[in-house]
Amino acid sequence: MLGATNRPFLSNDSGSTTVQSAEPMAGASQLALLSTVQPMEIRSKDQRLAELELIYRTQTPRLKSIAWHMLGNRQDAEDAVQETFVRAYRAAQDFQGKSGIGTWLCRILINVCHDLRRRRGREADPEEPALAKCAAPGREPSLKVALEAALRRIPPRHRMVFLMFEAEGMRHAEIAQALEIPEGTSKAWLFEAKKELKRMLSEAPR
Amino acid sequence: MRLENFDEEISRVAPLLHREWESPDLWARIAAEAKQAPPAAKPWRWALAAAATVLLAVVLCQPLFQRAQSPALLTEEALREVQQAEAAYARSIEKLSAVAEPSLDRSPAPLAAAYREKLDLLDSAISDLKQTAETNRYNAYVETQLASLYREKQKTLQDWIENAKQN
Repeated sequence: MLGATNRPFLSNDSGSTTVQSAEPMAGASQLALLSTVQPMEIRSKDQRLAELELIYRTQTPRLKSIAWHMLGNRQDAEDAVQETFVRAYRAAQDFQGKSGIGTWLCRILINVCHDLRRRRGREADPEEPALAKCAAPGREPSLKVALEAALRRIPPRHRMVFLMFEAEGMRHAEIAQALEIPEGTSKAWLFEAKKELKRMLSEAPR
Repeated sequence: MRLENFDEEISRVAPLLHREWESPDLWARIAAEAKQAPPAAKPWRWALAAAATVLLAVVLCQPLFQRAQSPALLTEEALREVQQAEAAYARSIEKLSAVAEPSLDRSPAPLAAAYREKLDLLDSAISDLKQTAETNRYNAYVETQLASLYREKQKTLQDWIENAKQN
């Protein structure tokens, strides 16, 4: 299992461009981003799509995982990621570089996931057992299973901050921007999440 | 379950919750949809900017042609009337600005930004024309154009106030 901040470097189809981002959420400076190099209108659609593909290749693993945590299955998660990139492509001129491109995408993704959930009228419905097995070849399945079960019982906002911080390796500043909350709130929710998880896991038989 | 060092154990296990799977056709789907979806246009913004630019171009360029064609000069009495009209506009604009500016400055909406840009353009044009008028107070055309810029600024402020009321 690859850690969120330890993924392999990714290259595009031609193999000519390698995006080396050990910190996927801070990849903005390394990419010729959609709106920052030249005005949108004087760059070709192909150029913009090529840039979008580079961003897609570095950011998608994390985005898919976050979407999976919010929506509970692969199909919905992929739909959410697809919608996220299309919205980002259309709104590229709104990206002002104040946050990393990954954080910006993450914020779009979270809104897309909320929209999808509203449209489909159901809460996240984990779990796909086969996927769970192949996704995380953990050395400690019992603790992992217990942790997953406990996570389902804590408030969604606490769960989300916990997963973004601990599972996806995001920093509080990034989480705060993605969830549009103050950084202090992100820290407080993580603290609450851990407190609740500790209580639940301490009560559970090992 | 006993967790002697809870934080350390959780930090070790939590990354296993990251989900990863192959999605071989996902990029193709995104690219296909993105190709069909042009970048979002903001027609009202372009319309405002275009209207302001055309107005300024007309206002700033016409004196050059008009001066050659008809060097109409104001009489002393007409000049006084023009100055009174200007002062009336200035008072009206001042009052409208006091009402419009708080909401205009505060609003993060792109529409507000477009209005601010247009007002900046108008202010800049008014300032240029005023300088021209000072060196040639009796030029009827410059004064007429200055009046039309004041009217446009007044109307822009009124539009914004109307828009702010509706929202």
